[in-house]
Amino acid sequence: MKQRSHECGAHGLCSRRHWFQSSAFGLGSVAAAMLLGEDGLLAQDDDGRLKKPLLETPVYDLLPKQPPRPARAKAMISMFMMGGPSQMDLFDPKPELVKRHGQQFTGDISFDNAAQASRQIMGPQWEFQPRGKCGMEISSLLPHLAEIADEITLIRSMHSAVNNHFPGFFAMNTGGILGGRATLGSWLTYALGSESQDLPAYVALTHPAGLPICGGDSWTNGGLPSLYQGTVVRPTEPRMFNLNPPPHLRGSAQAQQLAFLSELNRQHAERFPGNHDLTARMASYQLAARMQLSAGEAFDISSETAETLEMYGVNNDTTRDYGTRCLIARRLVERGVRFVQIFNNGQSWDHHSAIATELPNRCREIDQPAAALVKDLKQRGLLDSTLVHWGGEMGRLPTIQVPVGDTELKHVGRDHNTYGFSMWVAGAGIKSGYVHGATDDFSHYAVQDIVTHHDWLTTVLDRFGLDAQALKFEVGGQKLAMVENPSAKVISGILG
Amino acid sequence: MYKRKWLGKRGVPLGGILVGLVWFGFIQPPLLLAQETPTANVVDSTNILADASAAPVPLATTELYFEKHVRPILKVHCFLCHGEEPEKAGGLDLRLVRLMSTGGDSGTALVHGKSDESLLVQRIIADEMPPGPKKLNEVEKQTLIQWVAQGGRTSRPEPEDPAAARFTVEELEHWAFQPIRRPDIPSTAPSQNDVGDESMGAIDRFVARKLHEQGYTFAPQAERHVLLRRLSFNLTGLPPTTSELDAFLQDGSAEQAYAAAVERLLASPQYGERWARHWLDVAGYAESEGQVLNDRPRPHAWRYRDYVVDALNRDLPYNKFVQEQLAGDQMIHGPRDANNDEHARLLAATGFLQMAPDLSQTEDTLLVRNQAVADTIQTVTSAVLGLTVACAQCHDHRYDPISIDDYYRLRAVFDPAMPIQQWQLPSQRLVDMTNDATKAERTRIEAEAVALQDDINARRRAHCQTIQDREILAAPEEVREALRLAVTTAPGEQNADQKALLEAHPKVRSIDWIVGQLVEYDGPAHRAFQEEEKKVVAIRDSKPLDRQLMSVSDRPEPVASHVMFRGNPSSLLHEVHAGELEVLTQHRANRSVINPASSKRRLEYARQLTDGTHPTVARVIVNRVWQHHFGHGLVRTPGDFGLNGQRPTHPELLDYLAHEFMANGWSLKWLHRQIVASRTFQQASAVSLEVPVAFRDAEPTMSENVERNVGDSWTMDPENRWLGRVSLRRLDAESVRDAILVASGRIRLEVGGPSVPIAEDDEGKAVIGTRILRDGLFAGIQDAGTAANRRSLYLGAQRALQLSLLQTFDLPEMKPNCQQRGSSTVAPQALLLMNDSWVVEAANHMAENIWAKADSLEGKIDLAFRTAFACSANAEEVAQGLQFIEQQATLFRQDQDPTWQQQLQEQPDRDRRRALASLCQMLLASNRFLYLE
Repeated sequence: MKQRSHECGAHGLCSRRHWFQSSAFGLGSVAAAMLLGEDGLLAQDDDGRLKKPLLETPVYDLLPKQPPRPARAKAMISMFMMGGPSQMDLFDPKPELVKRHGQQFTGDISFDNAAQASRQIMGPQWEFQPRGKCGMEISSLLPHLAEIADEITLIRSMHSAVNNHFPGFFAMNTGGILGGRATLGSWLTYALGSESQDLPAYVALTHPAGLPICGGDSWTNGGLPSLYQGTVVRPTEPRMFNLNPPPHLRGSAQAQQLAFLSELNRQHAERFPGNHDLTARMASYQLAARMQLSAGEAFDISSETAETLEMYGVNNDTTRDYGTRCLIARRLVERGVRFVQIFNNGQSWDHHSAIATELPNRCREIDQPAAALVKDLKQRGLLDSTLVHWGGEMGRLPTIQVPVGDTELKHVGRDHNTYGFSMWVAGAGIKSGYVHGATDDFSHYAVQDIVTHHDWLTTVLDRFGLDAQALKFEVGGQKLAMVENPSAKVISGILG
Repeated sequence: MYKRKWLGKRGVPLGGILVGLVWFGFIQPPLLLAQETPTANVVDSTNILADASAAPVPLATTELYFEKHVRPILKVHCFLCHGEEPEKAGGLDLRLVRLMSTGGDSGTALVHGKSDESLLVQRIIADEMPPGPKKLNEVEKQTLIQWVAQGGRTSRPEPEDPAAARFTVEELEHWAFQPIRRPDIPSTAPSQNDVGDESMGAIDRFVARKLHEQGYTFAPQAERHVLLRRLSFNLTGLPPTTSELDAFLQDGSAEQAYAAAVERLLASPQYGERWARHWLDVAGYAESEGQVLNDRPRPHAWRYRDYVVDALNRDLPYNKFVQEQLAGDQMIHGPRDANNDEHARLLAATGFLQMAPDLSQTEDTLLVRNQAVADTIQTVTSAVLGLTVACAQCHDHRYDPISIDDYYRLRAVFDPAMPIQQWQLPSQRLVDMTNDATKAERTRIEAEAVALQDDINARRRAHCQTIQDREILAAPEEVREALRLAVTTAPGEQNADQKALLEAHPKVRSIDWIVGQLVEYDGPAHRAFQEEEKKVVAIRDSKPLDRQLMSVSDRPEPVASHVMFRGNPSSLLHEVHAGELEVLTQHRANRSVINPASSKRRLEYARQLTDGTHPTVARVIVNRVWQHHFGHGLVRTPGDFGLNGQRPTHPELLDYLAHEFMANGWSLKWLHRQIVASRTFQQASAVSLEVPVAFRDAEPTMSENVERNVGDSWTMDPENRWLGRVSLRRLDAESVRDAILVASGRIRLEVGGPSVPIAEDDEGKAVIGTRILRDGLFAGIQDAGTAANRRSLYLGAQRALQLSLLQTFDLPEMKPNCQQRGSSTVAPQALLLMNDSWVVEAANHMAENIWAKADSLEGKIDLAFRTAFACSANAEEVAQGLQFIEQQATLFRQDQDPTWQQQLQEQPDRDRRRALASLCQMLLASNRFLYLE
């Protein structure tokens, strides 16, 4: 028996408006039904007819929502280091590598680029020293990070076994290895909405030299309603195009325009029950109107003090871009944005060659701003409620990669390593001044307290009061989940 | 430490022969929820909840078989190390149950009936296997446990050689690999409702049958204006003009008007442009090579775009279309002749094989070359075959019966044209097919330019001579002769006195020097000569274009093809000969072995693809045409007809259309006519404002028959799989821009030619025009004149530089191609339509046109609605519009901008005109404009 999508009054009379409101199939159902895929997924009854999908009307919006459990994090800033920063040169000191520099590696090793593979061990070319009161060892390439060693947890036992950059990125940010899945920021905003109704809930800050290699898949809403897609904020001024109306439309003129538009759209949408794209677009005009008033201010760092600008390196050519974007990230979080991810261009940490010069170049651009972000959040009392992440989708091998038959140290690099790599996290109740896990003597395989990408995502959600195994997008008996691995666990060791 | 061993170069066992492989039981196609490797959903979902967290799993009552239930799980998770590669991890081969019992280094892996004694089960449930973070989920584990507990059944005896079990009969029996047969057209459906009708055509009968099965009916026919807008956008990518709309609505016979509109639109050049855009998506058309930072342009790529537009406009049969694109160069008889336009056309067609990203011009390594070839193969196979063949580049396809050998056999078809060992750089592959007449004309014009330049040069020299004379005259008379002698002596031969003399008279210089510094000596003359030189540039610009074609041709020397171990081009395994994927030849008399000695492998292959017996080629293109008419194909994964893709919602309709399409000469226009003539196509998208009583108020207790009468596909079939209406769709990026251009009255409809340039302006917005550089610094954008109003198809298609407006509306980036466009809804789109100067300007143009054409304000509002929506405004809308215009006009009158106030004084109706523009802009920003019913 078909279930009716609405209940009518005793007279059987429904105003059009009533009909629309009560029977609108709901924003998410179209998207969800698209995910039902095969015939078999939409369950069939004995006659082979489709069973009815759920007919309640889920409402999707960006209003702030209470998580099921108390949350430690209200916001997250992820500094994603696409390409795979070299952990044994930055975070994971290995005396054995120093000792055996130049010797042949005899153990089990997994190369990505077999053509340029070599078993010649390359020790770190930069000195490690104990930093802070905790004595965490950090490379001299990251002197500013050294200053905040007592604020962070350094995880040295990351492990994804997902080779290559695209799948690796998706693993770290979506839980799966193929593009097109909903990203972490989409899941967080889907579950929790946003504290700000005047700014996009989920912001991606891209590099002036270009997008990260995964392009739009880096901030896609995947199968979640399109409301939860990340909004890209431009790397240079203007941070967003078209934020200002032409002079003659400013103020009331545009407000009247939008009221007129809203009525047009409302009348139109009545005729398309349950079309969630139409309603999302109506909402997007409202957000756009509010963003005009608040986004320009949020992106404008000129009101920051000279000390702050100096701290982020905004006055220095090398650090200006990254410093500005870190500062904008802080300003967004301060204003209630739920999730901000800062990207580098392409995969610029992917040092298959010339690591001796390229790695220091990357470090010089990001080290000071990244450390400043943590310091600044702390001094403003935001670090307790902001989860800060710094890391890439993989690490690198202990042996050299020989690009063109030239083993000269200045030309060689390191190949991918997805079995052992490092990243650091801070804030939101994460331990400070703590090192978690370890790799083997060569920094190839994580061997102690291994952390998988699923564990990491589970931990992020946990900080927001969410249970990764329970967080689902569910319609008609079908579920989408970010973490599909039932054995994924919260990294309890890093929690303070 | 769980680590896969790195294998040496050794042959892998080949399961190339399909004969004798037919032994497995039925396997459901993998049911994919999310896009990752299917885990939860591999198992038959009618038996088991596809939900990892649901427990207990009701498996005990199901009889489990290896082939049907267990093998698909192991194939995804285990086969690579435990079976497919020559060295079996731990000496264990899991491809056959018999071999599990035999076991590996750790002894037997399977004890029938005892899952707690079976190592296979124990290692897996303890998550020790598979290595890596991806474990089996609970359903998969339970399936395994129960299967062993039930005795570890197979459906039938297993073969001797596990390699012979490479593909299963179920894989081979997948619908898309079966021959296309013409199904019987359903008789009209049972008559208790209106789904059946004697007069219905074949398409409608197939659709009606499915609708009836689901309990739905056809939606009512869409209103006439909706139909015209739908037809116009679908066939040409443009909205109807108001005069087209008026003529259509005024025609007394709706049917005649409709049929005439179909023919008019199919015959218009804009038809080819629109459908070329769809094909260019799957071909991965781009005008750059694809480097992230240094995206080198491909200035001649547009020749391929024009080939496609032309082919579609003259309805080149699709079989020919495919043949030409894969092997046009091999369809030329005799030597290539630049004077033969047909030769040039055929060569341009093969630009199809040159569209993939190719970075070898800047980084010519084996890996880069190999990637260019792999991307080309991916484009060809996804576009033409509708399969994800590329997955088999490194190992057997995880879901489809496509082996790594298959991949390299198919690639061998193309290897002679792009051999990675005898590579030609993109620049070396350009072919000059400029004909003699053009060449002669170019030479003549060049001579004209040179002559004019020579003349200018001579006159300039003569003028400079007078300047020199003047400067000499300015010197004291006694030194004039010496000065003249000195200045005409070559500097190396001047004596000390002469040098001193010249230094004393610094303005006396050689003619050459004065020519170079003429601006200093005589500014006006300099500028006059410069002005004349613009004529030289103009003359050169008037040259007819040369005809450089991106095309392919086979290398003369033999090219051997090998299987590459794990896809590594430096790690070659055994040699293979060119041929089609075996699974696609299984039911064909012609077994598609391509003569290895053939000098025309691609042509042979293309002919086999289009000989009418190929199982996917016709289905794939028919599905694409359907997709662009309805928003979704009958198969909703247009680039994946394999086991991982979706099954057709209407398999018989798909086969009927594919069969008839071939029988009707592979004519795409024929196919369009069938589709748009159908009742299915002409259904409404919107719920009628006069909602049918039954639809609204049906009681839940109604009888089944009545129930079927009131099927409401809007709420019960939200994704519209059963076609009980036509889905509402957002216009794609190009259509948004083109439709705004039409509404503003500014669109230019010239067909073909080089692309309109795109450049980044000073704020980083990609706009139409070229960057002006002065001393290497950005000095503004040179606008493109009226070319800026050409259709979006003709805008520069650099991968990394997309017009901001198009990018905002989800223009795809070709990496390497695009099967189905995404459609996002984000605030930047709203901001663009609210504030972008181009949009505001377009609305002004639209309003000014309307102001001039319609008299009353009511009439103007109505015309604005008809221009934007192809629909008259109703009384309520006119009233709302009037109110809005009055409000806006009042506000605008208060705008104290002095220029504006002056304009207002000169033209008192300026306030309302501006208000009308403001209204027009909102119409363009509205959902009614942005979406197509």
